[in-house]
Amino acid sequence: MSSMKEKRDVLQGTLALMVLKTLDALGPLHGYAIARRIEQISGDVLNVNQGTLYPVLLKLEQEGSIASEWGASENNRKARFYRLTRGGRKQLQAESRGWEQTAAIMGRFFVLKADDLK
Amino acid sequence: MRTLRRFFKRLSSWASTQQDEERLQAEIEEHLAMQTAENLQAGLSPTEARRQAVLKFGAVQAIKEDYRGQKGLPFLETLAQDTRYTLRGLRKAPAFTIATVLTLALGIGATTSIFTLVHAVLLKSLPVANPGELYRLGKESRCCYQGGYSQKQEFSLVSYDLYKYLRDNTKGFSELAAFPAFEPLFGVRRSGSSEAAQSYPGEFVSGNYFTMFGIKAYAGRTLTAQPGAPSAAVMSYRLWQQQYGSDPSVIGGVFNLNDKPFTVVGITPPGFFGDALRNTPPDFFLPLNAEPFVQVDADLNKYDTHWLDLIGRIQPGAKPASIEAEMRLELKQWLRSHWGEMSANDRAKFPNQTLYLSPGGAGITSMREQYEHWLQILMTVSGFVLLIVCANVANLMLVRGMERRRQISLSMVLGAQASRVVRQPLTESILLSLFGGAAGLLIAFAGTRLILHFAFPSFAGFASVPISASPSMPVLLFAFITSLLTGVVFGIVPAWMATRVDPIEALRGASRSSDRTESFPRKTLVVFQVVLSLVLLSASGLLTAALHNLENQNFGFEQDRRIVATINPRLAGYRTGQLSPLYRRIHDSIASVPSVSSVALCQYSPLSGGAWGSGIWVDGHPPPGPMDDNSASWDRVSAGYFDVIGNPIIRGRGISEQDTSASRNVAVINEAFARKFFKNEDPIGKHFGRETGASRQFEVVGVAKDARYLTDNLDEPSGPFFFLPEAQAEYTRSNQGSLFLHDIVILTAPGIRLSTARVRQAMASVDPNMPIISIRPLREQVATQFTQQRLIARLTSFFGVLSLVLASIGLYGVTAYNAGRRLNEIGVRMALGADRGHVVTLVLRGTLMLIVLGLIIGFPLTFATGKFLGSQLYGMNPYNPVVTLVAVLALGLSAMLASVIPAFRASLISPLDALRVE
Repeated sequence: MSSMKEKRDVLQGTLALMVLKTLDALGPLHGYAIARRIEQISGDVLNVNQGTLYPVLLKLEQEGSIASEWGASENNRKARFYRLTRGGRKQLQAESRGWEQTAAIMGRFFVLKADDLK
Repeated sequence: MRTLRRFFKRLSSWASTQQDEERLQAEIEEHLAMQTAENLQAGLSPTEARRQAVLKFGAVQAIKEDYRGQKGLPFLETLAQDTRYTLRGLRKAPAFTIATVLTLALGIGATTSIFTLVHAVLLKSLPVANPGELYRLGKESRCCYQGGYSQKQEFSLVSYDLYKYLRDNTKGFSELAAFPAFEPLFGVRRSGSSEAAQSYPGEFVSGNYFTMFGIKAYAGRTLTAQPGAPSAAVMSYRLWQQQYGSDPSVIGGVFNLNDKPFTVVGITPPGFFGDALRNTPPDFFLPLNAEPFVQVDADLNKYDTHWLDLIGRIQPGAKPASIEAEMRLELKQWLRSHWGEMSANDRAKFPNQTLYLSPGGAGITSMREQYEHWLQILMTVSGFVLLIVCANVANLMLVRGMERRRQISLSMVLGAQASRVVRQPLTESILLSLFGGAAGLLIAFAGTRLILHFAFPSFAGFASVPISASPSMPVLLFAFITSLLTGVVFGIVPAWMATRVDPIEALRGASRSSDRTESFPRKTLVVFQVVLSLVLLSASGLLTAALHNLENQNFGFEQDRRIVATINPRLAGYRTGQLSPLYRRIHDSIASVPSVSSVALCQYSPLSGGAWGSGIWVDGHPPPGPMDDNSASWDRVSAGYFDVIGNPIIRGRGISEQDTSASRNVAVINEAFARKFFKNEDPIGKHFGRETGASRQFEVVGVAKDARYLTDNLDEPSGPFFFLPEAQAEYTRSNQGSLFLHDIVILTAPGIRLSTARVRQAMASVDPNMPIISIRPLREQVATQFTQQRLIARLTSFFGVLSLVLASIGLYGVTAYNAGRRLNEIGVRMALGADRGHVVTLVLRGTLMLIVLGLIIGFPLTFATGKFLGSQLYGMNPYNPVVTLVAVLALGLSAMLASVIPAFRASLISPLDALRVE
């Protein structure tokens, strides 16, 4: 029971970062567009139910990282658009740095050979 | 920060649920529509396109659930839910609820009311500006005078001259104020009024006193530091309001204090009660330099009479330690400048003279020192009561938990989380405890008022001790936290037990089984209660026995038929030269009242709370060295005093009419004096003096039996004492204060009640301007000395009995419950031929074990109790086998009774009924 919860938390954390990066790169987007974008980039590797995105969006909005308002989509439908706030940009910078460091350290670990540890 | 922001967002969105649900719904719809459109473009059929879109989106309900979880505050929601549920449950069980809340209220109320006192006496600062900046001279508070140029341990009282020296030279203080260490009484009459003078406590204060405290006048102005304006006075708000109805003409009005005119220039603010927490806060503040104007025996200009306490406000940023060092140096300098006047002994002690500064935010803390230990005792005792209450309620909760087992099992089977299951009973405990706390506040209020009334007796017309019984913010906070903790303490075990239920067992109807593990916590609680109440009972027994010893000791004087009237001729403006004739007139006037058999005057009657002290020089003995203790107390009495007070003369004679100003100066000493100064000699006919080098001042003419005069060190034998005749007073010498006799001791004829009105009449015929401050039987005066001890003994006894009752109820509950659960077994046994006696023994066996176990554990603790009580026992041996035995018996018997009743009831059931019980 509890291990499942942990997994989801990790997923949510990364998902949030992906949302922030997407909005940073592409400007204001509605939920569907964000979902599509993440799907495109991660391919099938990250098999996320699209709906999972919405609780994440809400959390980010509550934290003040993103803001949202109603607008019109490209085919003229009513859609809720999300955009990055200044706080969100800062958060993105901080977290992406952290990710890069982690990734770099992990990378170095994986290229280690048994000899190096002797 | 982000978490906080999110919390508020969630709090607000919790309130706007409906709207957000709609928003989510709209977004989901939108999302699905876009995905469907894209799928259509990819060539899927409309139905398939929609199906794929929904599949890809995921479980809508689960996401909505997650979304809601993110959005609102699920914790608050379940809390509200639990609270509602609990309230409903409690309403359905009113007997349980009322019993629990009342028990809790008793425990929390008792603890809170003691805490109110602890807060007021031990923790609170004076109601002045920034009390943290105040520092006072001395580690311990002393009363009232120190003579000469040396003080034991520390220089904590100073003369006016030394005060001025310290004030002018210490840079670290922004203000350093001085005031006497005692509280003088003033005879007060409004100028031009025909009323008799009333006595009120007051204080002489240095001109910067109010500035130092940062106190502004409520009306008018306070005193100022300007010299040469000694006729100004500040009145307390209380007196202004109660006595003069807040009359504005009081400010600027002239009042006679000890027959000297003073102009009231202002009123102190309502909360201000001076520089110390006292039974009787001052009603008048006079400038220090008015002291010689008001007091006949002025101390202001004596360099070597130390009578002033100091409190100062330090400069911002100044370090108390460096101020202390600075002042130590100044003290030495000042002492050096008086080298010529110093005695040889003072000079020898010079190197050891030092002083200390201590935090002064609480003012002069004599009351704190006086009450500290007994408040600690009471706080511990009430804490014990609260623990017993917790144990009792925990037991009740456990029983309640047992009844709920099936319901809980069902919830667990249906997948409820353990944390959720625990939260429910815990909510109930905390809620009950908070109700108990609220009710406890009422009990605390009433209790505090009662304790204040008994602990700090006030005098008619005087201000009472400035402690409020109504709960202040810290007290409320204390009660709230105590309630919360109590709730957790007694709720956690039952809650934990609830989760350890085996669902299958519980659902099957486990009420028949007698599981050992589940009764373990309840048994532990009972043992715990027995231990605690044994400790409390022995504490109350010890304190009561000590009080009994104190009250029934041999005081060395008679209490029956003796009445003491207290006067103060100073208040009526008498000068020393007028005193002897005045005493004669008072004596004759009162002696002529019918039913009065004899009268004598003295400066201090026994246990009235004061005496003069002197260093003794014995004729023919080597002079006392610097480290020798040659102190003795003394009293000035009129002829026939020893007969009137009933103090037997063992050798020689008492003070009589033959001792006049013309005859040789005589003294009567007590046995302790004889032991101390005339070890192996016959004291009669020997000479001694009470001033440096004067060893032939008095001739000893008699030895009186030791009688208790002083009110401190009640656990030790009376100290050395001597008595001087009033008629031989040295009217030209110093110490003129000793010439004013305070107490008139009246011996009434046997079997007749003396009317106090007649005494007052007799006094008024002598001088209508001289108020009788109090008139009461000597027995009452003696009893007043033990108010504190009596109060603490009674309170502890009350708590002890309360704990006994609670523990018995707890035992009763456990026995009854266990018997109830074993009814089936009892039925079977009885069907198989067991008789009633067997059943009773069966039920009792377990309970008796608990009682005995509790007594065994508690027994050594009773000794620790005696040790903790320590000085409150006044020298009584804390290992008192009688007290311990009585406590053990009382507890054992009531515990037996509490468990026999349910056992006996269980045995009355018919086997058939017992077997039918589900």
